[in-house]
Amino acid sequence: MTLLLQAVADGLQMGLLYALVAVGLTIIWGLMEMINFAHGEFMMLGMFGAWGLSVAMGWDPLVSMVPLAVVMYGAGVLVYRLLMRRVQRGEVFTQIFATVGLFFFLQNGVVALFTSDYRFVNKSLLTGLSGVNIALGGVRVGVPLLVGGLIALALFLILYLLIDRTDFGLALQATAEDRDAAMLVGIRPQRMYAVAWGLGTALVAVAGVILANFFAVYPQAGLSFTVLAYAIVALGGFGSILGTLLAALLVGVVQSVTAAYLPPAFKDAFVFASYILIGLFRPQGLFGRF
Amino acid sequence: MAPLLQVESCTKRFGGLVANRDVSLAIEPREIVGLIGPNGAGKTTLFNCITGALHPDEGRIVLNGTEISRARPERVCRLGIARTWQVVRSFGRMTVLENVICGALRRTSRVGPARARALELLAFTGLAGKEDVEAASLTLADKKRLEITRALATGPSLLLLDEAMSGLTPLETAAAVELVRRIHGELGLAICVVEHVMEVVMPLSHRVVVLDHGEKLTEGPPADVSRDERVITAYLGERYRGRA
Amino acid sequence: MALLYPIPFERSGYIYYETVGFLVLLNAMLGIGWNIIGGWAGQFDFGPSIFFAIGAYTAALLSIHLGWNAWLGLLGAVAVSVVICAALTYPVTRLRGHYFAIATVAMWMIAQPIGATWPFINGSQGLFIPVAPGGSFAHGLLTMEFPGRGKGLGFYYLALLLFVLTLVGARAVERSKWGFYFRAVRDDQDGAEGIGIDSRLYKVIARCLMAAVFAAGGTLYGFWALAVFPDQVLEVNWNILPMMAAVVGGLGRLWGPVLGAVILIPISQLMTATLGAGPLAGRGIDLIIYGAVIMLIAGGRPNGLLSLPWARWAARVLGRAPARPQQG
Repeated sequence: MTLLLQAVADGLQMGLLYALVAVGLTIIWGLMEMINFAHGEFMMLGMFGAWGLSVAMGWDPLVSMVPLAVVMYGAGVLVYRLLMRRVQRGEVFTQIFATVGLFFFLQNGVVALFTSDYRFVNKSLLTGLSGVNIALGGVRVGVPLLVGGLIALALFLILYLLIDRTDFGLALQATAEDRDAAMLVGIRPQRMYAVAWGLGTALVAVAGVILANFFAVYPQAGLSFTVLAYAIVALGGFGSILGTLLAALLVGVVQSVTAAYLPPAFKDAFVFASYILIGLFRPQGLFGRF
Repeated sequence: MAPLLQVESCTKRFGGLVANRDVSLAIEPREIVGLIGPNGAGKTTLFNCITGALHPDEGRIVLNGTEISRARPERVCRLGIARTWQVVRSFGRMTVLENVICGALRRTSRVGPARARALELLAFTGLAGKEDVEAASLTLADKKRLEITRALATGPSLLLLDEAMSGLTPLETAAAVELVRRIHGELGLAICVVEHVMEVVMPLSHRVVVLDHGEKLTEGPPADVSRDERVITAYLGERYRGRA
Repeated sequence: MALLYPIPFERSGYIYYETVGFLVLLNAMLGIGWNIIGGWAGQFDFGPSIFFAIGAYTAALLSIHLGWNAWLGLLGAVAVSVVICAALTYPVTRLRGHYFAIATVAMWMIAQPIGATWPFINGSQGLFIPVAPGGSFAHGLLTMEFPGRGKGLGFYYLALLLFVLTLVGARAVERSKWGFYFRAVRDDQDGAEGIGIDSRLYKVIARCLMAAVFAAGGTLYGFWALAVFPDQVLEVNWNILPMMAAVVGGLGRLWGPVLGAVILIPISQLMTATLGAGPLAGRGIDLIIYGAVIMLIAGGRPNGLLSLPWARWAARVLGRAPARPQQG
């Protein structure tokens, strides 16, 4: 029983991080109905950024999080302006294709520059705290992961407030609802899309920065996160931010419990299988709007 | 004579909006029925329910004795209903001939006979000579013609035309009406026409059904319906009531 | 239609080129298979390598445990692959566009841990296919086993044979009812259903045809490599190269993937050979270029992946009938 509780606790913490990974997708999807195969690659870039700055400049990932977020925001906007804007009006097939190209380009660019070796962030605040636990009634909650999760949660909430309570967020929602009507009231959809891409990319990169404290950094790390993020967004409902959070927590728990009882290689299998099941039985997700 | 199509108390809701409320109608074989009503009356929704693109929340739809209320669109087509769409559809990347062949393949599995039938139908509907044109590059009138040809190729007993005349010039409209008459005369189909243009629908139809706000207002011969006060009110508003 | 017969390289001693030819033909064949679901039916499948793997494993298992001849094994591999494909695909046919693509990736990702840990197929330790020593060249053609020097040449011809069979089969499908129905589902799924096409059924059929081709390819590959390892047969390259070959060469055209494979594989091999900056870096760079090419094509013609102009030009040059004329 404690094993189960432990797994649930661990899963919830990872779930918070997954929420951060997935929320960018939900925004982009909710706005543009576009899918990004390269989503996980930006996370991987965040991981490499954190590792690189840690090794080269000795910066703690929690510190480098800020400049990296800014840079990746710019990268997201750039990707939108150069590529996605053009395929937006085209057929679905080409859209998928374009992001697949981006995926190969980014992943192998990193392979070419850094090889596929595993890298690790060794010296940081959070790794320094590893081993420090809080005991909550028989369940050990690792402090580093908890801190990481809380940071993710904080960012998630900031995003939620941004979308829900500010004028800008309102404009974003308006564009998602009805692009033409939004134009009529002076909102520029292109700008909204660019910002959405920027935000989504920045958030997933920050998630990567945090994850770099706990996981190996290597070029192929991205794809499974991409699919995981999709499973989460599909589960929680495309376009629903709170749905994404809840779904992410659920996925984290499912994954963690699976890993506790089955060989580790299978931990993602259930999640992916659930994506397929959701697609069959409740395509709009648990909380979706479509 | 048993009706070809029987719609019994069809009700369809979209959230809080009741698009069709308790609509019943029957279509006899070889009949032309006009389905009219102001915008938003629920005509296209009814078509969608009949063809299986949507399923009614309540009520039944029966074709030739077979219930099709929950059938999927391809089954409905196989049972003999073909339709055209409000916004014209075609397989844009295929040629005109290939489009119709796709329809003809419903009735025969081999491409050879399907091709022959397609060519026949294209000649019948006036698209002869354009067989190798890419569908996406046709004019609107020709696209509609193609859509009708393709629908005919599936060998239906009932053809549903959803605003087939919209967007056409008067000349094109006259040609289209002529085509519908020929289809009815030579192929012996039942046809149900959704239309806004009164000058088209009234002379063409044997019977007219009027929908308003999701409900059936009335039905009957065109002459009676066009003089019905409720119909005039529905279309033109209260101010015109009494000015038949 | 003018059929060009490729001229086989009779370079004994230059086995390397024969291997390149082998890979070109194999990928061209896989590309044609992918084209059926991707180009004709318009459904983006990012995980076809699971059927490649199923094919390789089935044939290997049949050979190891039952002593089946390779060609029988190939038939068995195709059968198993098609059955599994049908079972897996029917449920997800409700998904469209992006969702379907992600589902295929998800399937691929689930396959990886299964491949690595399933004891029945020896997990990540792989399976080794026994080869009887001796045996003539002709015997080799019948059993796909070429001990000794004839291997490169032998497999080249085997690949050529399978490639031609695939091409002929695909051409037959293209002109059949299935070919029409696939393209209808691609162009307008709702409209297709309206004229009586069961879109779900035909999506499954298209994917199963692809699965059959990939299974055959997997069998060939397995016997060539004489070993089947999960991370090799499920490798991402088997996902993207056929797809890329199809796109670069002209999606939706029968000969497209052939053209694409002829262009792409030699480039890849060239880079591996000349860059020599270590095998990993060399490999990566060709994928970088592929990625860039994909993005350029997608960005340049968002509506026209199906009708890349140079594919039409190349088709005309090769003597095929040009694409349908456009009229105003």
